[in-house]
Amino acid sequence: MSLIKRLLIANRGEIALRIIRACRELGIESVAVYSDADAKAPHVRAADRAIRLGAAPARASYLDAAKVIEAATASGADAVHPGYGFLSERAGFARACAAAGLIFVGPPAEALERMGSKIAARKLMIAAGVPVVPGESPTDQSDAALAAAAKHVGFPVLVKPSAGGGGIGMKVVRSTGEMAEAVAAARREAKAAFGDDDLYVERLVERPRHVEIQIFADAHGHTVHLFERECSVQRRHQKTIEESPCPALSAAVRDRMGAAAVAAAAAVGYRNAGTCEFLLEGSGDDARFYFLEMNTRLQVEHPVTECVVGVDLVQAQLLVASGEPLPFSQTSLAQRGHAIECRVYAEDPAQGFIPQAGPILLYREPRGPGIRVDSGVTEGSEVSVHYDPMLAKLIVWGETREMARRRAVTALREYAILGIRTNIPFLLGILEHAQFIEAAIDTGFLDREGAAIVAASAGAAMPEAALAAVNAHRALGALGTVRTIGTSGSPDPFVALENWRG
Amino acid sequence: MAEFSVERTGPGWYLVRDAERQWRVAVADGADTTWVFVEGHVGTIEADTRIRPKPGRGRGESGVMAPMPATVVALHAAVGQSVVQGDTLIVLEAMKMELPIRAPRDGVIRAVHCATGDLVQPGVNLLELE
Repeated sequence: MSLIKRLLIANRGEIALRIIRACRELGIESVAVYSDADAKAPHVRAADRAIRLGAAPARASYLDAAKVIEAATASGADAVHPGYGFLSERAGFARACAAAGLIFVGPPAEALERMGSKIAARKLMIAAGVPVVPGESPTDQSDAALAAAAKHVGFPVLVKPSAGGGGIGMKVVRSTGEMAEAVAAARREAKAAFGDDDLYVERLVERPRHVEIQIFADAHGHTVHLFERECSVQRRHQKTIEESPCPALSAAVRDRMGAAAVAAAAAVGYRNAGTCEFLLEGSGDDARFYFLEMNTRLQVEHPVTECVVGVDLVQAQLLVASGEPLPFSQTSLAQRGHAIECRVYAEDPAQGFIPQAGPILLYREPRGPGIRVDSGVTEGSEVSVHYDPMLAKLIVWGETREMARRRAVTALREYAILGIRTNIPFLLGILEHAQFIEAAIDTGFLDREGAAIVAASAGAAMPEAALAAVNAHRALGALGTVRTIGTSGSPDPFVALENWRG
Repeated sequence: MAEFSVERTGPGWYLVRDAERQWRVAVADGADTTWVFVEGHVGTIEADTRIRPKPGRGRGESGVMAPMPATVVALHAAVGQSVVQGDTLIVLEAMKMELPIRAPRDGVIRAVHCATGDLVQPGVNLLELE
């Protein structure tokens, strides 16, 4: 088998840069694509060549499958890496790549389809012996049948759209009396969001942890798992901080989850990198886990696994897509130390996390042992309103969870981004929260504590030293070159403290 | 407020010291906001027109003002002296830095309201041009 020679990266931002780097390390030529909003973006400049797709809106550029395939063909690429988001989980796109003679760096289209439907995936998992949350998806979708299903599953239950995702249309129901209203609302929301109002009912797992298993399969019959990532720190189903190992997982449960994830992958004929998401209830050897869904792509949080397991998942993706066997075997894989990833978003926690757009006036990433920053921006970048507001990921590794946590705090305090608001103060508030320090977290952690964390960071005092620097900066700007001299002198500042918003 | 000294260490970066410790601070100017970073905190402050006059503003007036509280360390202007735009008239010192005050336009010095060693405040005329 020969390696991919030229790869088109059908994505933008940090993940495009991550893939370009892997290409360069493997001697693969990289082709970037871009929208008009990204003409000067770092991923465009980093690639060996770059092709314009279209206007700024994703629909006219990164989500336009025909344009992406046309760009791949025109550039002479022999493969396409979809990254995450955009076209990454569309079976139709994977098929169109194959039809154009392009290798799709990801799973077969059939696997994308099988895992794309929640009901179908659930049936497949039950057949494969993978534990799922007790629940029913009645073929009779009447109110009475759904109520009977809820009673059978046992309250509290979650009523969910079968075509759903992202928490849309999900309703918690604690008794039979609440059922009719929840079903009606879930149907309306499901119909509006997905054009399909089929519902399913499952037992509500209270205070679960979100624990996912990274799997990898090649075309030579090998399927392995690369252990877990815990992603319980989520805000409105958007992951904020991920880590590995999961502090609540015992070795025995980890082994069983890993085996379940491998069985899930095998059940759909999976190839390349994928992730099985589970809910974990309880901790230690008595913990129970339930299959949630499979993410049929490289995940945002893949660096956590790379740090703890010591592998390069993107290089492995390119090798496996080229037809090579996996560069690692199950027995060669082990976890070492602890990794934490913090997602840095252009959003203002103090203003309801509203996404921020604008120029990055000043930018400096933290550096040091065990610190990795995967970023898609640089000083002078313009953050646009058109795409996901994630700017970068800070990933730290330490010998223990506490060492990793302190390393993350130190690194975030050195991460300077000026010109747009970011969630860095919020990330620091999470990392310093007593429940996070004790690893006493579940998927409801930020729902319960998020507002208090925001309030605490909004009330934090800006050191007065900052004012002295601003005064000096303004004097320089107003007066041109200023020479630093050897005497001291520090008059009172004329900048009023009440003007500050920290 | 404590006593601080400020040293510029690179574009937008300042090392601020007091008697006990030091901070690394970044400052950047936006369209109408100044941004400042220190130890994970980010603050914004509206641009202060007292410090950053809009083009033309103040230039046509007769006064020359200090941009910040400072000490006059040198005076290169005397009443009746003709100056051209850009001449250094006064040198101020604040926070370990010398701040040259230059003539905003050509003219003749009509009055001088400060002397070497004076502590001057912003918004007060240091001298007047004719």
